[in-house]
Amino acid sequence: MPPVSPYRRARPATSNFEDLLRPQVEYLYRLAWRFTGSVADAEDLVQDVLLKLYPRTQELLKIERLRPWLARVLYRQYVDSVRQRARSPIATYAEGEDNPLDTLPAMTDGPEEHAERSWWREHILAALERLNPEQRTVLTMHDVEGYSLEELETILEAPLGTLKSRLHRARQRLRALLPMELFSAGERVNG
Amino acid sequence: MECRDFTLQLDDYLDGRVDAVRQRSIQGHLERCPNCRSRHQHAVALQAALRTLPAPTPHPGFVDQALSRATRAALSSAHPTWRAVIGMAIAATLVLGVALGVFLATQPSPVRTVALTLERPETVRLIFNSAKPLQAATLSLALPENVELVGYGDRRELSWQTDLRKGGNLLRLPLVARGTAKDELVARLSHGGSSKTFRLKFEVDNAGKSGM
Ligand SMILES: [Zn+2]
Repeated sequence: MPPVSPYRRARPATSNFEDLLRPQVEYLYRLAWRFTGSVADAEDLVQDVLLKLYPRTQELLKIERLRPWLARVLYRQYVDSVRQRARSPIATYAEGEDNPLDTLPAMTDGPEEHAERSWWREHILAALERLNPEQRTVLTMHDVEGYSLEELETILEAPLGTLKSRLHRARQRLRALLPMELFSAGERVNG
Repeated sequence: MECRDFTLQLDDYLDGRVDAVRQRSIQGHLERCPNCRSRHQHAVALQAALRTLPAPTPHPGFVDQALSRATRAALSSAHPTWRAVIGMAIAATLVLGVALGVFLATQPSPVRTVALTLERPETVRLIFNSAKPLQAATLSLALPENVELVGYGDRRELSWQTDLRKGGNLLRLPLVARGTAKDELVARLSHGGSSKTFRLKFEVDNAGKSGM
């Protein structure tokens, strides 16, 4: 790996931040969506994390493996938001957020996304929705995203034993919510 | 090995966290016990389905928008323009963001319609834009039959005491429809002697579960 070039060091913080984070935003969004199960909440979560990270650009430049580190920051922010919402449903807008009327995004859940949704996916998502946030997080990170329990010890900042028992309970719950008959029926429906 | 032992070891077995000796004894039990065999097949099918569970990609423009908001927030100390744009003389007003991040402009009519899909949580965002800070305002919600606030079970009446700051105050309502909703959701914000009421109507879609 070559040392950081003088050219790169001289670049403004904005481009460093954008260079580093741009390739990671979709990944963060995907994890955020897995945690929250909602497009609106995933967007808010990613936005909050980016707002917090920008002032830490210099620190970010020194991190070797960015993804697990970012996943941990995202998870912390998610836990904070769950706690905060338990206290009061009202949050203040993050500074710097624009007029929502100026930035109307395109329809995010358009017909294509709808069509893509299989019968299957609907059932699994509805079942995931019924897990508590801790169980859903460990299950989606492990069984969907493919992180090992050892990696999750760092990302979710919980001991292995705790994670194992959360995963165990989450899977038991899912198996109860999604019985085997449903699986065979699914195969028939999907041909 | 007993069935109970198998159940306890199933997750370790699925994840390849058993040594060769345990693995042989589990496999031996699976060959003999049809119940545990079907439990195992069920678990394997579920794991396979989870591994291919897709996630949506962000809407086009989200990446640019999110990055530029993050950098602009730090660069500019100016107040975000939206406060001025939506700022109104009344104490609190509302911009309703229907689920999926789509915000609508405030119209004279305070009744809005929100589309929900049966059993699928969606977050409806309301922005209370307050002309001045309000201490200890009361926010109350009356939910129509068949619409739940996620995490609150079937409670129909909810209220919170909350401070509103000057400018935008975001209220997120994760809602899920359990059936057809006939009535409206009523959100009332009161402070001192005055109050403001907002109403939401629901259109509940059956997610293509009808044989249409
Ligand atoms: Zn058995």
